[in-house]
Amino acid sequence: MNCFVVANPDKCIGCRTCEIACVVAHSDKSLFTAGTAEVEFNPRLKVIKTATVSAPIQCRHCENAPCANVCPVGAITNKGNSIQVDPAACVGCKTCMLACPFGAIDLVSEYYEGEKCLQEGLKISQGAGLCAKDRIIANKCDLCVDRPGGPACIEVCPTAAFQLVKNDNMANSIQAKRKQSVTELSILRNRR
Amino acid sequence: MSVDLGIIKIDQELCTGCRRCAEICPVNAIEGNQGEPQTINVERCVVCGQCVQKCSAYAAAFEEGITSRDVKLVERGMLTSVKEPLFAAYNVGHAKVVKDGLANPTLFKVVQSAPAVRVAIAEEFGLPLGSLTPGKMAAALHSLGFDKVYDTNFTADLTIMEEGSELIERVTKGGTLPMFTSCCPAWVKFVEQAYPELIPHLSSCKSPQQMAGVVFKTYGAKINNIEPARVFSVSIMPCTCKKFECDRPEMNDSGFKDVDVVLTTRELANLIKDAGIDFNSLPEREFDAPLGTYSGAGTIFGATGGVMEAALRTAYELITKQPIPDVDVKIARGGEGVRRTTVQVGDLELKVVIVSGLKHVVPVLEEIKAGKADFHFMEVMTCPVGCVSGGGQPKVLLETEKETAHQNRTAATYEHDAKLALRKSHENPDIKKIYDEFLGEPLGHESHHLLHTKYTARKG
Amino acid sequence: MSTKLNCFVVADPSKCIGCKACEVACAVVHCDSEVTTVGTMEIPIIPRLYLVQTAEVTMPIQCRHCEDAPCANVCPVGAITQEDNAIIVKEESCVGCKTCLMACPFGAIDLVPRYKEGELMAQIGLKAQTDDELSEKAQLIANKCDLCSDRGKGPACVEVCPQKALNVINPAKEKKNRNQEAALSLLDAVKKFIS
Repeated sequence: MNCFVVANPDKCIGCRTCEIACVVAHSDKSLFTAGTAEVEFNPRLKVIKTATVSAPIQCRHCENAPCANVCPVGAITNKGNSIQVDPAACVGCKTCMLACPFGAIDLVSEYYEGEKCLQEGLKISQGAGLCAKDRIIANKCDLCVDRPGGPACIEVCPTAAFQLVKNDNMANSIQAKRKQSVTELSILRNRR
Repeated sequence: MSVDLGIIKIDQELCTGCRRCAEICPVNAIEGNQGEPQTINVERCVVCGQCVQKCSAYAAAFEEGITSRDVKLVERGMLTSVKEPLFAAYNVGHAKVVKDGLANPTLFKVVQSAPAVRVAIAEEFGLPLGSLTPGKMAAALHSLGFDKVYDTNFTADLTIMEEGSELIERVTKGGTLPMFTSCCPAWVKFVEQAYPELIPHLSSCKSPQQMAGVVFKTYGAKINNIEPARVFSVSIMPCTCKKFECDRPEMNDSGFKDVDVVLTTRELANLIKDAGIDFNSLPEREFDAPLGTYSGAGTIFGATGGVMEAALRTAYELITKQPIPDVDVKIARGGEGVRRTTVQVGDLELKVVIVSGLKHVVPVLEEIKAGKADFHFMEVMTCPVGCVSGGGQPKVLLETEKETAHQNRTAATYEHDAKLALRKSHENPDIKKIYDEFLGEPLGHESHHLLHTKYTARKG
Repeated sequence: MSTKLNCFVVADPSKCIGCKACEVACAVVHCDSEVTTVGTMEIPIIPRLYLVQTAEVTMPIQCRHCEDAPCANVCPVGAITQEDNAIIVKEESCVGCKTCLMACPFGAIDLVPRYKEGELMAQIGLKAQTDDELSEKAQLIANKCDLCSDRGKGPACVEVCPQKALNVINPAKEKKNRNQEAALSLLDAVKKFIS
């Protein structure tokens, strides 16, 4: 089964350090020395704050990932133990964004070496002339597969709210819950 | 290095220790504590395979920490193409041996099938429980590449000739009575190990399987113009103990191992699937003559009371010289347990006992030991309702459907018998032929040499 | 709005012998093809209740059909609903996100491959990628006890258990029975106490 990162809402303090770490981990050039004044901030997880809870929401790496199943160009595949978007193949149709039940996908500008990528053909018609249009592609948690230390969000969280759920974590948790349930049920009075 | 001689085994990785097998084992051969993996006492085990039929502890597909399915399939002697789930209690398989034999062009491949196989094998292909498909079974065996598709029912008829004559001789000349049938190898092993003093009561007749084995490699080789050494003799049985029986060292009166290998009904189905044969769409075919010709009396061996009924149909005529008034001897038919009845055969009041379910025979044997038995002939089948409920038959998954399977297979057996033109063993023309051309007469010299055997006490 | 409490099946730990006949029966009756014998079972046995063996006790665990089913409440696609007083997973809607697996306090939900007519069902679009090769990925869906709601005779596990260890509990009826027994026992206990 696929792995995924999930946060414990009881521990989240809404500091958004995870979002910053995510952006840093996914920039190919150091953000802090970037020449451009405006750097778009596109984390792949978002801290959501409501009246009752604050927690980061990110891709759940679903087994039957709806984003992948609706993608018209097969840009989203199951690689190893995670669901990955191939930026080169993405055409920015936004169907995955609509398909994701968690709202974990966003469409953002594609960057290469600190610069925005431009469309090859598509231009935006503005007033008298045509302007270049950025490439806009699907953006979601990729489990930091290329990062030696693994998911950046887990590393930086000051309250250790995140956990990486792998196959054996899930299996062990389920087994433990079943055993607990068996112990509890054996206490029930048997009337038959 | 110790060699594991067991045919029935319990996979220690899968067994949950529920002991449902131990409960139904007729000889208490399954040992272990509740909740822990069980083991089989190989000496005591009569290889009936009822534990295999009962076991519901299956190997989960995605279970970690146990040996992989591929390795288990090889360990169990199963074909790698098999898809069915594996359970803790199982019998060792020989499908690969038969597959290799079938691919060997130098061998003359002969097969026999027990009566109970043809009323159950179709279940493995999705047909209703107890479907009667002798024609498709013969066709499948032809398609697999057997040179001759003969039949155990032929030698069931032969057994009746020999055993009927033997019974008459014991009754009229003061031989050991009551006489016991000897076609069920688990029952024979049980007598040898638990009641060796009663061995003389067993009929000296071999089982139909073993008679067929020796006939194939002598008379069969002759009529087919084949050197006996080239005959590859395969037997399809509803029974796991038949694997034990064919390995008995004395079963070589043909000069070779009489039956080379036994496959259960389930193993044959897997072999058919492995060969890509679509069983359900096969056109019906006949069994090959002369050793595949059979009467209804031969086919009812598969049900409890069948041997008795078949014997009566012939013995009646041998004794009174008149045909039996009603060929359907319904008082012989029934279910699990002990049935006692008397049949008027001319002047003789023949008292018979029919036992089905091995544990039920013990009180009767104690009766005999105490000198209180007043009957002439006893048929014993180890399995609950006879061979149709054998340890090698298709294993019904839902407990609640097992009885239906047994009932349907039994009904199909009698239906098959009722619709055949030949109903009595002594009227089988190919039986008359084998005596004329080869054996001489029942209990004669040649018959005695090839078709009769001796038993020995054993530890168990 | 229905106020009738959901029934559920539970095992009596003092009777369970750990034979797994319940698991086998469950898998067989939920198979989409007609399965009678072991030889006709061409897919793995996938049950919706799970035998658990601890040092002290052995018994199967299955869905409790909770009134406020956490699995249903966390499902992002609404694949889990209440139908005829049973909590049911709609297979076609499940995206395999595993949130229900995390939510269930009993571990009664598992994620299993989806079979149709003996074959694994492939994803519509999602492929598995290794290096440069794409291959089919099987659909995985949430699997849990459905009270055999399609089955005339009711839960198969209850029917086949050789020890009669499994029973359908109707909580409201159970409570009522106990109330009545308690009231009857008061006849002996309190009356004598007062006098």
